[in-house]
Amino acid sequence: MKRVFLFFILLLCCVPFTAYGLDVPRLEGYVNDYAGMIHSSTKSKLEEALRGFEQSDSTQIVILTIPSLEGENIEEFGIKAAERWKIGHQGKDNGILFIVSKQERKIRIEVGRGLEGKLTDLMAGRIIDQIVKPKFKQSDFDGGFIAGISALISTMRGEFKAGQKPVQRKQRNFPPFLTFLLFLGIFILILGSLSRILGGIAGALGLPALVYLTVLPVGILIVIFLALVGLGAGFFLPSLFFAKGSRGGGYRDHGGGFFFGSGMGGHSIGGGGFSGGGGSFGGGGASGDW
Amino acid sequence: MRKGSFFIKLVLSVFVLAALSGCGYNTMQKNEEGVKAAWGDVEATYQRRNDLIPNLVEVVKAYAKHEKETLTAVTEARAKVGAMQVPKNIIDDPKAFSQFQEAQAGMSSALSRLMVVVERYPDLKANQNFKDLQHQLEGTENRINVARTRYNKAVEVFNTSIRIFPNNLTNKFLLHLSLKEPFKAEPGAAKAPQVKF
Repeated sequence: MKRVFLFFILLLCCVPFTAYGLDVPRLEGYVNDYAGMIHSSTKSKLEEALRGFEQSDSTQIVILTIPSLEGENIEEFGIKAAERWKIGHQGKDNGILFIVSKQERKIRIEVGRGLEGKLTDLMAGRIIDQIVKPKFKQSDFDGGFIAGISALISTMRGEFKAGQKPVQRKQRNFPPFLTFLLFLGIFILILGSLSRILGGIAGALGLPALVYLTVLPVGILIVIFLALVGLGAGFFLPSLFFAKGSRGGGYRDHGGGFFFGSGMGGHSIGGGGFSGGGGSFGGGGASGDW
Repeated sequence: MRKGSFFIKLVLSVFVLAALSGCGYNTMQKNEEGVKAAWGDVEATYQRRNDLIPNLVEVVKAYAKHEKETLTAVTEARAKVGAMQVPKNIIDDPKAFSQFQEAQAGMSSALSRLMVVVERYPDLKANQNFKDLQHQLEGTENRINVARTRYNKAVEVFNTSIRIFPNNLTNKFLLHLSLKEPFKAEPGAAKAPQVKF
């Protein structure tokens, strides 16, 4: 009983907790027009320009329009969206988020850390005040977006080159998948020490669930395959522990094979489609209204 | 007998596991570095604001000569912040930390009073230099907010990590790290000066 209790405490220590803001919508592409302010022809024009700019300069500019801030500050919403979407490339931090809230008539340009040198708060403020605002005031939203984006592009041009490899820091984290796998092994051992069938069931259920939740959603065939592997492990693993002392060395090798051999390789981030590249933001940029 | 040896193996493997995931040792170190980095950002953003103030005062002075008092208050608050000796271990030192926070809050409120005064001078508000400075000031205040929020988050993560089991044992016997101070919300400091046209 005590063992099981201890195990659960250890497990609780490892449960990752994630904080979610409330209402940052999904990132769908370069232009996320949730307020319906942009004509479809303008939208495709903007998307084309932004895609071209990312291909040539690797700087990511993303537009977001929302119907209302619902009482939130546009600066706070902006940084929240930027942190969630992670626009820009990791190591270069070259993302720009252009946010417009329709009801409050607020504009914000959120600038990634890597671009703060070129697109200073002052520059961003001028783009809002002198280029975007006059057009928005005349309800010419399409014109405002086009003029604003082209001003941003011409400011940023040449700051980064596509294909330039940023300096990558090596991550030495213990992947969560392996940690959970180790705990699953222990869990199977505990159950298996009570009854082999229980251990087998735990393995058959646990391994596919683990892979499904921590690595990536896999197809039904792989789930069945993993269930079989888990079942085998659940039967096999406890018996190795129960083996007489002289065979202790043997289980180690096998244990290694089981724990690490069936690890499904690296994580895959963002299963296709459009996504941010891990750029970070420090609150730079400017706001305005019209 | 069989049961006994199994139990020993189990306990051993639990310990090996704990050692593998570092018994929190690495986590705590990493989190402390996280707090330090976040603190560095906080200091840098406050410094940025301080650097901005002389320009702002100059521009306002040119248009609003009669607001000597408010301008002096800003200059004095800046001098106070500038004169403050920030100790290296400020994040471990609640007293120094609250002094720092107080001085910066004084700066914030002096600045917001200045921004209220400015409302009375339409010429000044139309001045391009002033507009630019205003954007920079707003941006800086926003950065301060972001840096403070991130610092507080890092502190929360760190403080949690040294208090939970089994990390608290590791910390007690090996690392001896102390809880870090978070920023507390203050009426003056939490709010950026609101500048409306």
